[in-house]
Amino acid sequence: MKADITGIGWITAAGVGRGRNHHGFALPAGRLPDYTPEKFFTEPYPNLRRMDAYSRLGVTAIALTLEDAGLDTWTEKRDIGMVVATVYGCLGADVDFYNTVIPNHGAQARPAVFSYTSANSFLGEAAIRFGLTGTNYAVAEQHPTGLAGLLAALGHLAAGDDQKIIGGVCDVGCPEIFGWPDKFPPGAVFFMLEPVGTNPRPSFGTLHSTSPGQLLFDGSPLDDLAVLVDQCLSNQAS
Amino acid sequence: MNMIRSKSKNELRQTIVTEAVAVTALGSNLEDLWYKLMQKETAIKPIKRFPVDREHYRSRIAAIIDDLRPSQGRSLLIDLLDRLMDQMGPVPADAILVAATLKSGIDNLESECRGKPTGFQDIRLASLADNLGARLGLKGNGTCISASCASSAIALARGAALIESGQAEAVLVCCADIVSEYAFSGFSSLKALAPDPCRPFDRNRQGLSLGEGAAALLLMSNTRAEHEGRARLGTVCGWGITNDANHITAPVRGGAGLARAVNKALTSARKKPDEIAAVCAHGTGTVYNDRMELDAFKQVFHKRRLPVFSVKGAIGHTLGAAGGIETALGLKVLATNTAPPTIGFVNPEDGAQGLVSADQQAIAGDFLLTTNSGFGGINAALVLGR
Repeated sequence: MKADITGIGWITAAGVGRGRNHHGFALPAGRLPDYTPEKFFTEPYPNLRRMDAYSRLGVTAIALTLEDAGLDTWTEKRDIGMVVATVYGCLGADVDFYNTVIPNHGAQARPAVFSYTSANSFLGEAAIRFGLTGTNYAVAEQHPTGLAGLLAALGHLAAGDDQKIIGGVCDVGCPEIFGWPDKFPPGAVFFMLEPVGTNPRPSFGTLHSTSPGQLLFDGSPLDDLAVLVDQCLSNQAS
Repeated sequence: MNMIRSKSKNELRQTIVTEAVAVTALGSNLEDLWYKLMQKETAIKPIKRFPVDREHYRSRIAAIIDDLRPSQGRSLLIDLLDRLMDQMGPVPADAILVAATLKSGIDNLESECRGKPTGFQDIRLASLADNLGARLGLKGNGTCISASCASSAIALARGAALIESGQAEAVLVCCADIVSEYAFSGFSSLKALAPDPCRPFDRNRQGLSLGEGAAALLLMSNTRAEHEGRARLGTVCGWGITNDANHITAPVRGGAGLARAVNKALTSARKKPDEIAAVCAHGTGTVYNDRMELDAFKQVFHKRRLPVFSVKGAIGHTLGAAGGIETALGLKVLATNTAPPTIGFVNPEDGAQGLVSADQQAIAGDFLLTTNSGFGGINAALVLGR
């Protein structure tokens, strides 16, 4: 199974960018920048204010990815899927919601917060915003590599489940209440995958998988998400 | 596109289900569950696990496994997995683990929020895969899929895709979710809980009843299953996953999203609608879900009256585990040529007449459709075969 990478979008502790318009990429540990999500959407997007930090991060990075692939505008819903790998998912929203349950035994439980307590909820928001009707779910790995979303996305594309699909990672870190050190840097990085040669924009390279857990980029084994972005940007520059 | 689906079916590897086990509030194993389901029993009853005697709760019931107990600060999920894995036969060490859950060890998150530290190990999403991988000595990097109430249906689709593509010979799909104050309060705040046991597809339905449970299904390629002399409980022939792209918590009216998922599943399985013998519906008992499902089925099956059933009046809505448990039951349906009664169904919703029944129904055919939908606008459909 092979696919072209036709768009990349990211928000990491090092900054905000997309593949065709960037000032370098890094996926370091540390705090995410104070970005203003609204400025990445051409039309008003009031739902952004209702979302938890994980959802806002994910939806914004997906918006950047679609723009990079030239797929940000639409008139009819599209068979585009999304698979996100995450370590902590919506744990922040989980804590926020349960803290509305505790004070009065559920009487003050907030449905607006509960709406974002599924790790895939923000994919639903992105689906609504951009008319994406394909496969979508969140996946967590036992030993996080950040590549599970891409691997699964590639599998769905190859199986003919979706015409195009976005794969990547999204995490805002572990809520402090758990006192568990972050094992994966915060940030969101997404890639648009399309069947080889179907997008008129130049591809960043070809992703390939021959066995479970093994990704190849332009024929070379790949085991690091940041390296994949670097190689894509290098291809684009050359 | 359709690189794999464009091949002829003969070129494809089959995904065989060689083992299926389940634990629910209605039965400690699949046989027990099936028997009680056919006896029209329900496990939905008053909740004792956490306080619900408050005026603001419209519901005070759920399908809870009475004697599920936490041990040494671990989540109730661990006891649930113990009971599930006690029933499971040998799992090949090279099996790829695809777990599924909506909320994992959410009871431990509750404890942490209440200032009672429990540790993080059962809280994070991948904890289900961690636990099972270690318990079974599996070699690979297991994953856990979370997609609201379609989590385990999608995990089964992913497992079948890994086998059909030749990337795996064996996949263990395991799913679990528990009833918690967290989920109860959440669905209550959305006014989605029924005051009485849920009544799927009934005209007077008032919402869902929560339930808890777990299931494990071992998938193998046909060649591997034959080589190992494994039982053939059935097949996962096709799948379809779609998003409504309409609303974050409510299904799209008219059921277009689910209808597309079903049509994708039929295409994937290379089956026509009239080859489907029966439908194991999501059937939560909420006004909008059940209406949406009936509308979707009408788009796919038109005027054809085929048996449609929901098991949620018996075992409650087991959230991320629903699709796995319902697939295990679906294989029983195919094996016995009998669709179970829909518990709680009395007065048919418009369009449910001749489809849904309070009694068991005979089925004729070799394929069963199962459907699940959930938060985020997700829909998943599976086609199961003999």
